[in-house]
Amino acid sequence: MRAMYLVNYFTAGCIASSLLGWTASLHPMAFKAITFLVATVAVVWTLCWLLDFSISQLLKVSVSDLQAVLVSGLAMLLIGLGVFVCT
Amino acid sequence: MHLKMFVLSGAALTLWLTPLSALDKKIGWHKAMQGVSLCAAIACAVKSGNIAYKLSQQGEIEAIKERAITADVIDEISTSAYVSQQQRQQEAELILASPDSDVEAGRKALEAMYTSDLQDCTSTPDSPDYPVYLEVCKSLEAGKSTTWIVENILKMGGRKFSEGKVKLQALISQFEGMEK
Repeated sequence: MRAMYLVNYFTAGCIASSLLGWTASLHPMAFKAITFLVATVAVVWTLCWLLDFSISQLLKVSVSDLQAVLVSGLAMLLIGLGVFVCT
Repeated sequence: MHLKMFVLSGAALTLWLTPLSALDKKIGWHKAMQGVSLCAAIACAVKSGNIAYKLSQQGEIEAIKERAITADVIDEISTSAYVSQQQRQQEAELILASPDSDVEAGRKALEAMYTSDLQDCTSTPDSPDYPVYLEVCKSLEAGKSTTWIVENILKMGGRKFSEGKVKLQALISQFEGMEK
């Protein structure tokens, strides 16, 4: 059942990414805003990946848990945007 | 609860993928439809995730309960075995302390009690001590001394010798009663 709830939250993340893509497709300004948001997230993601030991201590989680969250977040973003763009 | 969770998961996937792929882009309101269905899909996925989380918590609690019950039963069994052994030891000590004339009567009474006790006892010939007991019997028949048996079969020589002697007595009394 643990796998099931993780899968469901992962799906929710993927759908949220598609929603971001949908918002970007509404207007050129929205596209720019979403591009800025995605760029910011990418910078934060890279910093978190590089400083994983310090951030894991700060958030009081294990390094492997933090890396799992980061990788799954990236996968959600890629899958969600990929599905939106391909369809 | 399970059914609801699976239905919500399926609905989330359908609401996510169907409007994006199947909706005709010539329709004027297809953008609005996509937005609404994506929002609904997120709601379904989150709700389904929450249900799955609750179920997983309940499953963990059930597993903890089961482990606690098993531990309780094991504790009960070991306590009752310990108590019965203590009782037998006390009775044996009482017999040893009593005058010679009473010994035979006491021994018979104890034998009768042991036979009924051992019927309820958890140790059977399948218990791990039984092969050791058989080996002890063979050595006794071969005329080996108690010291030799404690040191070579029970492997309790040196400092543990007195402990080994007690264990040997316990083994013999435990399985002798069962064989009778």
